[in-house]
Amino acid sequence: MNAIGLLVLILFILMIFVGGNQGLKVFFGLLINFIVIFILMILINWQFNPYVVTAVVSIVILAIAIYLGSDNQAVANTAFQTSLIVVAILMVIAVVAQHFGQFQGFSTENSEELEGLSLNVGLSFSHVAMVVMVISLLGAVAEAAMAIIADLNEVIDRTPDMTSNSLYAHSRIIGGQILGTAINTLFFGVLGANLPLLIWFIRLKYSLAMFVNAKVLMMEVVTMLLGMLGILLSIWVASWLVVRQFVKHKKVGIK
Amino acid sequence: MIFFQKTKKYWFVLGALVLTWVLLRHDAIIYQQPVGQVVHETARLTQKTTDEHGNTDKIYSQRLTIKLLNRNKTVTLSNQYADSQTVTHRYHVGDQLLLDGTGKLRILSLKRDATIGVLLVLLVSLLLLYVKWRATSWLLSSLIINIILFVLALVIDINVKNANVLLIFVILAVLVAFSSLALVLGRTLQMVVTLASTLLATLLAMILMLVSLKVTANEGVHFETMSYVTQVPTTLFIAQTIIGVLGAVMDESADIVAALFGMRREKIAHHFKDYWHAGMNVGRDIMGTLVNVLFMIFIAETMPMVFLMLRNGNNWPYILDQIMNLGILQTVVSGIGIVIAVPVTSALVALIVKHQQVVKS
Repeated sequence: MNAIGLLVLILFILMIFVGGNQGLKVFFGLLINFIVIFILMILINWQFNPYVVTAVVSIVILAIAIYLGSDNQAVANTAFQTSLIVVAILMVIAVVAQHFGQFQGFSTENSEELEGLSLNVGLSFSHVAMVVMVISLLGAVAEAAMAIIADLNEVIDRTPDMTSNSLYAHSRIIGGQILGTAINTLFFGVLGANLPLLIWFIRLKYSLAMFVNAKVLMMEVVTMLLGMLGILLSIWVASWLVVRQFVKHKKVGIK
Repeated sequence: MIFFQKTKKYWFVLGALVLTWVLLRHDAIIYQQPVGQVVHETARLTQKTTDEHGNTDKIYSQRLTIKLLNRNKTVTLSNQYADSQTVTHRYHVGDQLLLDGTGKLRILSLKRDATIGVLLVLLVSLLLLYVKWRATSWLLSSLIINIILFVLALVIDINVKNANVLLIFVILAVLVAFSSLALVLGRTLQMVVTLASTLLATLLAMILMLVSLKVTANEGVHFETMSYVTQVPTTLFIAQTIIGVLGAVMDESADIVAALFGMRREKIAHHFKDYWHAGMNVGRDIMGTLVNVLFMIFIAETMPMVFLMLRNGNNWPYILDQIMNLGILQTVVSGIGIVIAVPVTSALVALIVKHQQVVKS
């Protein structure tokens, strides 16, 4: 049996054991997102407008990650709303960063892998760089939004008669905690994805100048920074939305 | 005026961004190699290419007039680029370049420090606005400690002959987990429990991976396809996966432990079963989104190469097998770590809390 197949099977069984029905949903959510990313790559390869494709696919991926990841409809709705706003902002920042930083394509570090491949392929790798930046931050944005909204809803459930100011203060405290752990998750995730690259840079004694300018390494740094910005904005926007909804809800309640 | 008063903080951020940009655009003096700025460029189409897969591309030849910023000189260089810019690069007027060579200069890289610097300052200043100085400094210092530990591990890995790579990164993982959690939670029982369950879950995921690889004799796994390899790829992959999954598992364990310790404080639960079920409930809610975080990072990483292979007429099965192989494997193993952390943490906390109650009574 194929090793990856076996591990996927183990993951599936564990998800069912731990999450039951919800675990099943999470597993299929991952599977669907995998297929959606395939479709994204096919569409971009067919030269569809990369901005439109990325925007649409991001919405689909976020919807699947959020609605199939959570049992609570109210939490999921707000999280989805938050993620859309944040990803839209970050997509703009990604385009600007790509414009100035020119992170596209491969570099001399990749020459071994590129051997024998045609490199004049008529597909703009400048667009590909933007797509990579946006896709890699989707997960982090959704996770941060879900975490803070779930926690705040719990606070509201426990003390429904609190003022909006004290809810906002709560959101600051909870937000700070979630920010710390979420940024750690992203940080280690990116490091874990780039260990060989970092070893390469240190082993081949790259100059300090290359450490802060080289394309392949800076692409990863930008991806990480955008992800962290995404987490921060996500917490920010989410707590603002929750407080706004809470205030609205209260007014209706008084009437 | 009131508008400015109210939005004062944001003007500070904007000011910091502009200042960073200006400073880093004028930092050529601190570079040892020549740094130049493109002041004039002309490009002309030299060739329209069609490769054997039917891809058409345009190739341009560019003449760049570059004013050296840390030497008193202006040079003209020529540069070739294709529209796709896979390995070639189009330079624009205003771009700053790192140059190299004695006599005849060649372009080493675009200078990207200003772009990175502005993004970094944007992140830090927004962090300061949102979570205030104290929390931000905690967060940043924990990141910096982790980066230092990480660099230390890399340096040891590279400079020690026949270093046990796995051992180095396992020790790194323990230290990094300890420092992150100690900074957030302090020296409390809660921190010890979180650390223990994080390490245990990561260890279990690794064991499951190694056993699976052993049983199937690495069938369908291509460690040799790893990029930037300078040492044995198998151990490197394991090290990479440990680091990658650590953050997510830490996040999850911390959440579950925090919730269960909250229950203990409020004395609403008494039995092993109460804690176990509560822990599983908390974990179940977050595991899906956490797996997604790593999934997106690992898959996005493989994208540029996937596009290049697609354009080179390779079919999907081949690309899945050769290019996305390790990304998928890393996602799946990380997923296993994240899911397994839920029962591990719940059981561990339940056992410890139960044990304490018995001791007390």
